[in-house]
This record gives sequence, C-alpha cells and structure tokens, in this order.
Amino acid sequence: MEKQNQPDLENQDQPTRALTKHLQDKLDYVTTLRQAITAGDDRLIYELIDGDHYHQALLNEEPDPTRNAQVDLITDVHPAISHYLSTKLIDYLAHEYPFFYYEETQLGEFQIYFGNWWDRRRFGKLNVLKVAFEFSSEEYNKLQKTFELAAAHKRFNTDQIQKISAGSDELQKLIDAQADRDAQKETLRKKLKENGQRNSLFDSGRIKEERQQIIDQLTQLADEDEQANNAHATMKDNEAKILTLSKEDTILAYEKQAIENAFKSFENFNERNHSLYVDYLTTLIGKAQVAEDGE
Amino acid sequence: MANNEKQIDSATLSTHGKLTMFNEGLKSGLANGEKFTALMDQLIDTTDGEVLLAAAQKLAAFKLDSAYVTFPHQYQNADYYLIFMSRLLGMHQDEQATLNSRRKTESLYHVFKTLSDDYTFRFQVVTNANGGAYYQEQTTGENLFYVHLERRLLRFNSTAVTNLFINKLLVKGVGVDQINVVLTTLTQFGYWLRDDFGFNVDFNILDVDNAAKYELRSAQLDRSIIDKLFVSAAENDHMLRNYMHGHGAEIELRTGLVVDIFRSAANGSDRWVLTVHDPDQAVSWFDVLLHFDFMRDWYLDNIDSLEIKADPLVFA
Repeated sequence: MEKQNQPDLENQDQPTRALTKHLQDKLDYVTTLRQAITAGDDRLIYELIDGDHYHQALLNEEPDPTRNAQVDLITDVHPAISHYLSTKLIDYLAHEYPFFYYEETQLGEFQIYFGNWWDRRRFGKLNVLKVAFEFSSEEYNKLQKTFELAAAHKRFNTDQIQKISAGSDELQKLIDAQADRDAQKETLRKKLKENGQRNSLFDSGRIKEERQQIIDQLTQLADEDEQANNAHATMKDNEAKILTLSKEDTILAYEKQAIENAFKSFENFNERNHSLYVDYLTTLIGKAQVAEDGE
Repeated sequence: MANNEKQIDSATLSTHGKLTMFNEGLKSGLANGEKFTALMDQLIDTTDGEVLLAAAQKLAAFKLDSAYVTFPHQYQNADYYLIFMSRLLGMHQDEQATLNSRRKTESLYHVFKTLSDDYTFRFQVVTNANGGAYYQEQTTGENLFYVHLERRLLRFNSTAVTNLFINKLLVKGVGVDQINVVLTTLTQFGYWLRDDFGFNVDFNILDVDNAAKYELRSAQLDRSIIDKLFVSAAENDHMLRNYMHGHGAEIELRTGLVVDIFRSAANGSDRWVLTVHDPDQAVSWFDVLLHFDFMRDWYLDNIDSLEIKADPLVFA
C-alpha cells in the first residue's frame, strides 16, 4: 500500500525524470533567493539574479549562459528586488558619490539628482540590479564638455553669453546714436529739398541719381530707428537668455567641483563608474567574510 | 431749525442769563485747561507706565480751546505722541533719540545722535476715523511705523524702512553701525510697547524672531528671480540650495545663519515667504540686507517681486 503511493522514480521515463529535476532546480533557485532576501545576503542575491555576469566580473571566469538558466523565473519581481537591494546600495553610494541624490519614482526605479543646489539637474537613472548609473547622455555630455573647456578657462556657455552680450552692446550703441541719426536725417531732408528745386535739362540723370542716394540713406536710417525702438525688448530677451545660460554654467561648475572634491578628476570618476559593480560586490563579499570571521 | 431757535433764545435772554452763560463758558473752558495741565503733568513727570500711556492717549485727541477760552501757546496733538515715545525710551534708559523743540513755535521733533540733524522725525496724526499716527521722517516723508495708542497696536513699514535706511542713508555712506543704533531704538520702542502695555506689534522686516515669516507682497514669484540669486550667490561664494521641505530655496550666509524663500501654504493662503534663522534669533531680514551686499542688490533689483508686505490696513 505505502509503496504504491510513493513516487516511483524507477518507473519514470527519461524526459519525466529530467522534468522533475528541472522543476526541482527551479524550486531550489527560488528558495535560495527567498532565503537570501530573508537573511539580508545581498551578495548572494546579486549572484542569483545574474550569475554569469557575477562570475565573469568577480571571479574572472569565462562566459557561461547556463549560469543564468533560471533568471527568467523572477523577471516579474525585478522591481521589488530592485527596491529591496536599493537600501544598502544607496547607503554605499551616498558615501562614494556624496553629490548624488535618488528619488524612487516608482517601485525599484530610481532617478538620480546631481547635487542639492537650486534647480539641480536630473542626471539619469540608477540601475540597482546592474549596479550601474545610466546617465542622461545630454546631461553627461554637457558635463564632459565643461571639463574639456576648463583647460581653456572657459565655461560651457562662455562663448554664447559673449555673443549675446555683444549683440546687446550693439543695440545699446544704436539707441545711443539716436541723436546722431536725427541730425543726419535733418541734413538729408534739406539736401532732398535742394535736390528737388534743382532743375537742369542737361544734368537730370545726375540729379536723379543723387536723389536716389539720399532716399536710400534715409531708408537706412529709418531701419536703424526701428531697430533702436525694438532694442529694449530684445535686450530684455537677451538678459533672460544670459540668465538661463549663466545658471547652467553655475550648475555645471558646481557639478565639476563636486566631482573633483570626491574623485580628483573626471577620468577617475568615469573609471569608478565602470568598476562600480565589482567595487560594490567586493565590499559585500568583504562584509560577509568579516561577519563569518566574527562568528 | 434748531440753530434758529437757539438764536432766538439767546436774543431773548435776560442780561443776567447772558452773563451766567458767559461765566459758565469760561469756567468750563478753564476747567478744560486744568484738565489739560493735569494730563501734561502726568505725561512729563509720571514714572508709572500705565499713567503715562493714559495721559498720552487723552492728550493725543485733546481739544484745548473752547468757545470762551483759547490758548495762544499750544503744542499739536502729534507732539504728545512724540513726548510719550521719548518718555518711554527714557524710562528704559534709551537716550538715542533726542527730543528737540523749534525755536519760535511750540513744535517738537526727534533727531538721532548717530544721524545728521537733516533727518528729523515727527508723528503725523491720522485725521480720518481710523485714528492713530505715523512716525515720519520729515525730509523724505517716509512713514516708518504706525501706532494706535487706544487700540494698542504698532506696525512697522518695510517699504519706508528700506527706502530711508538703505536707499537714502546707506547709499549716502552712513555706516551700518549708525543705522543699527537708530533701528535698535525704534524696535526697542516696539518691544516696550509690547512688553509693558501688551501692544500688538508687527515688526515686519525688522523682526528677529526665527518664527517670523516675511510675506512677499506679490503673490507670484517668477522662477527667474530665484535663478538670479542662485547665479549671484555663486559669484559671491555662497550656494543657493534646493529647499528640502517644499518648493523653494535656501542659502546659508554664515555658519548657522540661513535664509529660506519658499511657498508657504500656512493659514490657508498660498504665498511666497522669506524666513531668517540664526541660533541667537538676533538677525532680521533687514539685517541681512544691511550686511550682505549681494542679498541687498538682489532684493532691490527685484523689489517689485520681492517687497515684503506691510499691514495693508495702515500701509495701503
């Protein structure tokens, strides 16, 4: 009686035996993950969610996709795992990258803010599962350019600000020259009158030509008058543009300063970003060993 | 009608009746004068604060002349406010404001020891139903505060304080220390009114309390105004930070001295406010303007957006 109720492994065919083994592997995988979370063993969790990467990056082993045979089982709970892992990771990052701030905009999704200054930039995302920054390329490129330009003692927007300022200076000159233009117009109008009173049968071509020249000059002056009239509005626009650009320069200067304070150079910063996974997992391994040694 | 009847009455009065009326008129006029001098005694000499205040309240609205008795030498009602203020300051050993009298007329004014005598201060009595009086600098006409003795309230005026002490005095090279001496006397007057008599005092831009919220007159604040401070603060080695508790910004001007500007939804009204925090609660927004040039430039350059609101009931 009892024997009949027990699973009869001997009598199963090969595919069925393989199936039960597969299912057992899956159960083992999920059970191990659950235990790792209960035990707070973040290192093991990272090994479980991407074992192939873990072995290559930390143990210098060759790629082997079979290490990730079970990882698809848990993709639906990735956001929750990311949320779980973020606590220790962000503690670590807060120390290593003191200028980054994170906001969990939805479960397991983290936006990065650069700095605590006014109007700090959103700088991209933190991929907790991969232990990697995914910087917004636009923002990152501006920062990179800022470091490049620093060698020439320039800021990101220096040239553009100079260009706009020069435009405003020109407009100011145009405004200041109003009295000159008014005097010129007066003179030209007198000339035009004289020209109209001259009447020569032989010289009419020359008189006509002179008349046209005077009219052209007057038109030119009228154009300048109009530009001068609109200049105040344009200059105000320019001021607003310069403010926006100066603000961006200030933000970029703060970002550059923050990176230099923490990493000395932009190159070091980039290197650290690339080795972040290894560095973080190494500290997790180190902590685990300290814990074991202590037991 | 009533007037006509009265005329007829007096026309038909007997001579005796006329004389009696004249005599009664004189008596009551003299009694009024007696009452006045008794109040003056109190105002000038009493050492009791409440008696002083009561005398000032009565004198501020006193009509000395009557139909039968007029007095050729008189002070104006505004002068009694000034005497009251000087007496109260004197009771607290504050001698910075000197009470002077004009040579030929009975008229009083304040000058301050640390300021040039060009700047004289008098009260300007409000003649409409509201009552009360403004403490006014005479050459600029700036009403620095409003006081109402019966209602026991005092209101400082941010606009006048800024115009006089910064746009006039500081710009003309008067030292911050000199300005502070005057401001201290004015605010002390407020403290004593509050502490001795329970006045309701709005120190406004001069409030040093950390809890003071300086409300901006304008309801909207363009982001670019804060951008401007961010840029100029950076140029002056200060960082304008993101405000951590809501929508706004904050700046630490020196260790422990923090200015916040943020949108406050307190008391049901959604407005922009400034606050100033320092460990000793000794710094007002106005002190910040006096001591930090870039903060002052920012405030004055954008005064239309940033001006601190004073009590709209008395400073329309």
